[in-house]
Amino acid sequence: MSTSTTCWKCLSRPSLLSSQLSSRIAQVTVSAPFSSTATSLAPPLIRGNNGPQKGVKGTTAIKKKNRPQQTGKPPMPGERKALRKRVVLSNTNAIEVQDLVDLNQETVDGLLKENASGEYTSPVAGKVVGLPGTTVDSLRAIESFKTSQGWGLFRRPSLLVRKEAIDLTKSLVSAAKDQITQRLIIDGARGTGKSLMLLHAQAAAFAQGWVVINIPEARELVSATSDYAPIPDTMPQLWTQPTFTSSWLEKIQKANKTQLDTLKMTKKHNLPIEVPSEISLSRFLEIGVSDTDVAWPIFQAFWDEMNAKDRPPMLLTMDSTSYVMGMTEYRDKAINFIHSHDFVITKLFMDLFSGAIKMNNGGAVIAATSRSNSPTSISMDLAIMQALQRQAGEKLTRRNPFERKYDERVDSALRDITVMELSGVSKAEARSLMEYWAASGVLRQRVDEQIVAEKWALAGNGVIGEIKRNALNMRI
Amino acid sequence: VLIWGVNFPENRLIKKSLETFYGIGNQHSTRILAQHSIFHRARVGSLPTKTITALTAELSSMTIETDLRRKLVENISRLKEMGTYRGRRHAMGYPVRGQNTRSQIMSARKLNRVERRG
Repeated sequence: MSTSTTCWKCLSRPSLLSSQLSSRIAQVTVSAPFSSTATSLAPPLIRGNNGPQKGVKGTTAIKKKNRPQQTGKPPMPGERKALRKRVVLSNTNAIEVQDLVDLNQETVDGLLKENASGEYTSPVAGKVVGLPGTTVDSLRAIESFKTSQGWGLFRRPSLLVRKEAIDLTKSLVSAAKDQITQRLIIDGARGTGKSLMLLHAQAAAFAQGWVVINIPEARELVSATSDYAPIPDTMPQLWTQPTFTSSWLEKIQKANKTQLDTLKMTKKHNLPIEVPSEISLSRFLEIGVSDTDVAWPIFQAFWDEMNAKDRPPMLLTMDSTSYVMGMTEYRDKAINFIHSHDFVITKLFMDLFSGAIKMNNGGAVIAATSRSNSPTSISMDLAIMQALQRQAGEKLTRRNPFERKYDERVDSALRDITVMELSGVSKAEARSLMEYWAASGVLRQRVDEQIVAEKWALAGNGVIGEIKRNALNMRI
Repeated sequence: VLIWGVNFPENRLIKKSLETFYGIGNQHSTRILAQHSIFHRARVGSLPTKTITALTAELSSMTIETDLRRKLVENISRLKEMGTYRGRRHAMGYPVRGQNTRSQIMSARKLNRVERRG
């Protein structure tokens, strides 16, 4: 112990001299070497809690835990699923972007303007457009919005008008004008905007007054989660999915109500139920919604009606197409798995792709692949590769002669398709998207050349899903 | 819902319900569902009445439950009455299929008997 009177840590002087301090400390420590005062004054020990008693064998057996009791009210059936699938499209905390142009008929017509060198000269080319209220309701009815796309961050749903989107709109307009069936597959790496391209096609179709039919997830057609039934007297055997068709008719009816209310039945159909003549197509579909057994015959009659004269064009879209390029999990009477093209809804899409069925009033059938969590279909991949090579005028890749897993039916369905391959957006498009995000108050950074270049490069040269994930999801 | 005299709650899977019968496992239940065009995630309550009747008829035509147990016991007693090696082993409660008896034969002691329970 130091003899100095200053505390070495805090440089303070103690009130007592160090000698007095040490003697006082010494005095305190001088006491009896053994003391039972503490133990005698302590409260007495409770005998029972001291562990296993003498003479009694303790048990080391593992005690069985009771099942945890479910406290509280369990949710109603379907509530958890509804919460999981619910799509929020509006956020009042986001700032309303003032000069957002709506994607209506006028805008769609304006999109197609080109200059002499083939560049699109519309004021909204490469910019963000808003979706009008009626279109949003229709898109919600056909389940186009996905929960992972981040719609709930903004005041209203909007889309970036990419160059590929204008190309797609151009082909839709020409399909309606020339009354041909445009057959397109949208492919690209994960996050490149395939589902949103489908959404753009649907929004453009609604803006022009087309009838839109959508399959938001092709997996539902194949995973054997809804009932199925054989159609009698069909060779080769065809199958329907009554419950799925019935709920599908409901979505078609809700989404296209404004158009279908104005269209009346003109033909006589051979249906298992009595249908009053001269009803609107909207009312006709409602009959199929309530009765699952007649859902497919009603859809067939609806298809015939829509192919009659002077009807609006139709757009059929399907997402996650690789699910329907193979076998389903349903079994036939001989306990073999059924091929997906034997189910009538899928067959409709595949016949449209192969050209076996045409839409008399023009229209388009567009399928988007999914490159995340989707089965591989080598036939579909080969067909896409060959279509891209054909479009580019290159030599076609030959089939691998040693490969056994090709599917002949998929090969014949996709022999003659157009493919749109999506990759990254350009820097200018990325910039206008990020400016829109900043104007909505969601992106809290100043949008300049540096940050656009940074996000663009980090996203693998403009993969739009990655830009969104980097800019909006990761917020420090 | 009553299938072959047994009541099942409506929200139970039909495949699981069929497998509760002695003699029906994965293979037989898959075959029955395929022959009646029922998807494997179907619930008992979702089936129409005529399908339930068809399932009951199908189950009546199959050897399950008591018929199957009786068949099993008949096979063993046939072996014994013929005086075969296998019959004697069943009667003594020893392993039948050539296993060693120098070590654990708990399963044989429990299961191998002339009045085998199934």
